Amino acid sequence: MGLFSRAGGVAVTMTPDVVRPRQTVTATVTTDRPVTKVRSARLDWGYVNFYQYHWAGRVDSVAAQANDTVWTAGQVGTNYGGDRDTDDWVSVVVEDLPIATGEFTGATSTLRIPSWAPASAPEIARWECRVIVDREGPDAESRGEFVVRIGTGDVDSYLEPLERVSGDGETVVDLVPSKPVWQAGETVTGHVTLTPTVDLPDGDVAVSWQRERESHPLTRTPGPGSQLDGRIMQLDKHIRLQAGTPVHYPFELVLPDDAPPTAAAVHSSINWFVQARLMYEGFGGHSLERVRRPITVVNAP
Amino acid sequence: MSYAEHPAPSEPPRPQRGLTREERGRDVSDAQAEAEAESSKWRRFLHMMSPRLVWSMADGYPVVVKQFLQFCLILIYPGWVFAVLVGGLFQLLFYVTVYPVLWVLFWPMRNHQKKHHPEEYAASQAKFAKK
Repeated sequence: MGLFSRAGGVAVTMTPDVVRPRQTVTATVTTDRPVTKVRSARLDWGYVNFYQYHWAGRVDSVAAQANDTVWTAGQVGTNYGGDRDTDDWVSVVVEDLPIATGEFTGATSTLRIPSWAPASAPEIARWECRVIVDREGPDAESRGEFVVRIGTGDVDSYLEPLERVSGDGETVVDLVPSKPVWQAGETVTGHVTLTPTVDLPDGDVAVSWQRERESHPLTRTPGPGSQLDGRIMQLDKHIRLQAGTPVHYPFELVLPDDAPPTAAAVHSSINWFVQARLMYEGFGGHSLERVRRPITVVNAP
Repeated sequence: MSYAEHPAPSEPPRPQRGLTREERGRDVSDAQAEAEAESSKWRRFLHMMSPRLVWSMADGYPVVVKQFLQFCLILIYPGWVFAVLVGGLFQLLFYVTVYPVLWVLFWPMRNHQKKHHPEEYAASQAKFAKK
């Protein structure tokens, strides 16, 4: 009789299914009939972390350099190794469930979402509670999903330092958003100040948002990461750049409604920036100035 | 980004994160690292033809794929040596024919930089002296 008996169906229900850090979520495990011959059962709270990795070969090998040369020459399809998207489970809390007389009939557990929890987004993480019932015969497994949203009150609010990406600093470009934390879909406002240190040719200045996704797997070779620039907003053209005379420009940038929040997980991170670039007219040998300042993006009020 | 407030004492610790490509540094085989460490251009050129370096290009691939690649690398080895020799010859030709012309042609610009931007000139010279 025991030979053909199947493990009972196990289901996990999450309440509520949308939570914020430091809030409590409850997992209710139910079975359509008692699961028998159970050795142990456990609940695993955590998240599926999405990231990119280099699947094989050395990233900086001679072959890779040669391949890059061929690839840039237009030989599409010579992907000798390549970077792939993948995901890994990150366990946050594991809880053993009590089993009486080898039968599992259900359980309830709660988790207080950690303050450092990365937000749920297809680019970074999917939070789950998994139940694994280890038994003589096929194990019973199930999972319940819930969404972690990050609000403005869940992150520290301070202006991070400006990063100079390129340029000689002939013009000091300062980029100041009016606040450090922004919600997805919101319009980022602020101002750009250009202070030339010497008399320079006229220039034009533009701003945009930038989303950076970094992969930093624990064991695998990391992927190169990716940057996505928002629509470039030209603030002005033919700006007169005279030594010591600052020029100010206000700016407005609309963040996407579905912007994944700033997050730091085990294998990947999402960072947001506002960036400005200043180009000089003519061919005077003045290099393009580019600066960016990190901002924090959240997806709840 | 940092998270607001200090974590509650009962809160699970934050799992350790990994390293990005930049944080890990260059990912090359031992043979390639050895070749790149050579300061002499001639010795580096010789290293480029070393069968060990060519063989090491299959490093990091899964088993079976790696052996197949090594087999292919053995097959193309004569072609690889030929390509490196031809490349070296072209480089030599460039330094004998085109480079002196460019050197003379850009002399006024170099001289201008040396006179008006001595720090930048010195930095540029130092940068290319290392290569």
